[in-house]
Amino acid sequence: MTASTSSQSSLPRWRRYRPDQQSEAYLFLLPSFAGFLIFVAIPVVASLALSLFEWSLLSPPEFVGFKNYTQLLSSDLVFRKVLFNTFYFIVTIVPLQLAFGLLLAVALNQGLRGLEVYRLIYFMPVVTTIVAAALVFQWFFNRDFGILAAAIWELSAETGLPIRPPDWLNDPDWAKPAVVILTLWKNTGFTMVIYLAALQGVPAELYDAAKVDGASAWQRFRSVTFPMVSPTTFFLMVIQMIGAFQLFSEAFVMTQGGPANATLTIVYYIYQMAFEFQRMGRGAAVAWVLFIFIFIFTLVQTRLQRRWVHYEAGGES
Amino acid sequence: MQNRQWQNRFSFKALIVLALAALLISACAPIAPAADSGMEMADEGPVTITWAMWGSPAEVATHQSVADAFMEEQSDIVIEILAEPWGDYFTKIKTLWASGDSSVVPDVLFLSPIVNYASEGVLENLDPWIEASGYNVDDYWPSLLQYAMYDGSVYGFPRDIGLEVLYYNKDIFDEVGVPYPDDTWTWDDLAAAAEQLTVVEDSGRVSRYALGMEGGKWMIWVMQKGGMALDDMRNPSSCALNEAGVVEAVQFFKDMIDNNYFMPPANMSQAGGDAAVFQSGQVAMIIQNASRVSAFNAAGMNYDVSVIPIPADGHRASAAGGAAWVMSALSDNKEEAWTFLSWLQSTNGGQRIYTASGEILPALQSTAKSDAFLNSGQPPSNRQAFITEGENARMGRIGYFVEWSQIGGSFINPGRDQILIGEVGVEEGLNSICEQVDAFLEENGFPK
Repeated sequence: MTASTSSQSSLPRWRRYRPDQQSEAYLFLLPSFAGFLIFVAIPVVASLALSLFEWSLLSPPEFVGFKNYTQLLSSDLVFRKVLFNTFYFIVTIVPLQLAFGLLLAVALNQGLRGLEVYRLIYFMPVVTTIVAAALVFQWFFNRDFGILAAAIWELSAETGLPIRPPDWLNDPDWAKPAVVILTLWKNTGFTMVIYLAALQGVPAELYDAAKVDGASAWQRFRSVTFPMVSPTTFFLMVIQMIGAFQLFSEAFVMTQGGPANATLTIVYYIYQMAFEFQRMGRGAAVAWVLFIFIFIFTLVQTRLQRRWVHYEAGGES
Repeated sequence: MQNRQWQNRFSFKALIVLALAALLISACAPIAPAADSGMEMADEGPVTITWAMWGSPAEVATHQSVADAFMEEQSDIVIEILAEPWGDYFTKIKTLWASGDSSVVPDVLFLSPIVNYASEGVLENLDPWIEASGYNVDDYWPSLLQYAMYDGSVYGFPRDIGLEVLYYNKDIFDEVGVPYPDDTWTWDDLAAAAEQLTVVEDSGRVSRYALGMEGGKWMIWVMQKGGMALDDMRNPSSCALNEAGVVEAVQFFKDMIDNNYFMPPANMSQAGGDAAVFQSGQVAMIIQNASRVSAFNAAGMNYDVSVIPIPADGHRASAAGGAAWVMSALSDNKEEAWTFLSWLQSTNGGQRIYTASGEILPALQSTAKSDAFLNSGQPPSNRQAFITEGENARMGRIGYFVEWSQIGGSFINPGRDQILIGEVGVEEGLNSICEQVDAFLEENGFPK
């Protein structure tokens, strides 16, 4: 934090570090710290308190103790479905996103011409507004008039085979994959870019050495690439799992949580409880349950990483 | 080392100072508007009434013309509009009320459902005002005022009655050679016409459905069969969706979808909603309220409306409901707010202007039966269909208590989806809905 004395004295007087300057530094921090306190820290604590109340926003809150939690965990059948849906999204979205992201990154790392163009194309969905994307996908999936369905109907008419396009957004069994597809389309570009950066940091001499030892392309990927990017994989896995836990907009715009609650996620349920059913306390309780889930899963992942993550590339930590 | 310790202590102190400063800033915030309202009180001159509603820019323009017409008559009252999009409106209004600051809460508001707010004590009980002014509440459609009542008192005036009629595309009917629907149509007539109007390609793709309707409107069929969602829509003790009439009604709806006569409701909303599929000819009929009239007229469609077909052994059962104008209990200018509110809901005041805009079936029968509605010179020509449905309006489409939104959102709507998709049988699905609703009612202490 502090520079050494010798370099201090070589600086002009006004640039030297003085302990009494600290107060000025804190003054500069004040706006962002105040913002954090008012918009993050205080609401977080307030929501914990709120989860012990029944509150409709309009009348004074009524203290109910742990009732919001006990009802949620014991008798709320919708909440069970919501948990199942959320875990479905986590176990599908996270591995697929990592796999596709790595695959694309490896493909783009082969010294292709026009790398920037491909990178741009794959990254474009990341910066696309989710609402616009979800609305387009809604059309894309429509059984009667969508592009995807039109192709299948066409195929059916041409071949005379009784092929029917799935009723993506009407059928609970297909609505979840539809949300997964939209999420993959949206986020894989981000995974790819991070992996691409990691791949470019893998020293070429490791590959050369492996080649000299007669390693095949797959062996080089397995034994050099994969371990070398494992810190990146770990990072992506953690943030994507948290992202999947918080899945909301995709389902909110494209399926409205339906059909038959098939795409209702935990965060969607928080929204529903608080703003549709006017039960702020119950919504806050769901939010805290979500926090505990994310906390536990991240903790487990951090523990497990010792078994498979190799920190060798930079030589540090 | 010593220096380091000093630093630590210093930064700890600085943090405390910082936290206190931040708290001070946050504590300061509510003081400002309070001072503001004090200023307003002292101000003499015309009284300002804040009037809040949701709406598209076109709708807000209509509201503005209503406000202008009122201000022309009443120069001592200024109407200030606070309009928000539908998606943000209710959260915004609730937050304003939660602040408890009368200077920021609108005086007159558009709200729905009324009971959720009346039961929280934020709305002005209108009974004394009605009594003192002799305002005629009998002019409302039957049961409509019930929608805005809580605990036996009136808390709001519905602007319009959101009942549905059957819109049909005359071009498609002419092309297929099916006679236009009329008052005598039963479910069987509807099914027979639908069979002819539906177009299925060789591949099996449906390129035109006979009818499109939102899934939430399934209660039309249920109520025509004498069914209800709950045994008592104000203070229920049990779910009533497992009764015989309901099973028949839901079976009818499901058969219509399975036969490709009705567009699956979710497909319709993904394709842009009933207005979009009706205008593009993807459906020949829709079931919807008066709100579509102006759009179809603007598009120059060749269409008309009719009453909704009923089962041979059933009866008409329109929903008596509609968003209502209310007065905030926190209003500082209740006299003026009442003047505006009662003017809004009079045939010579707001009702006439809204009716002329062509988007509503007015809440007052005298306005609906006046030339402003019946002989506006605009399509649809069979406006009598609205009057017929209006005279048969009854309550029961929605619950008149706060927990209804959760009962509908968590149990009834998902359960209905499951039945319509065919994941469960009709009877089994309705029984399962009722089990969940009954358990919820018991857990939440109903009947109260």
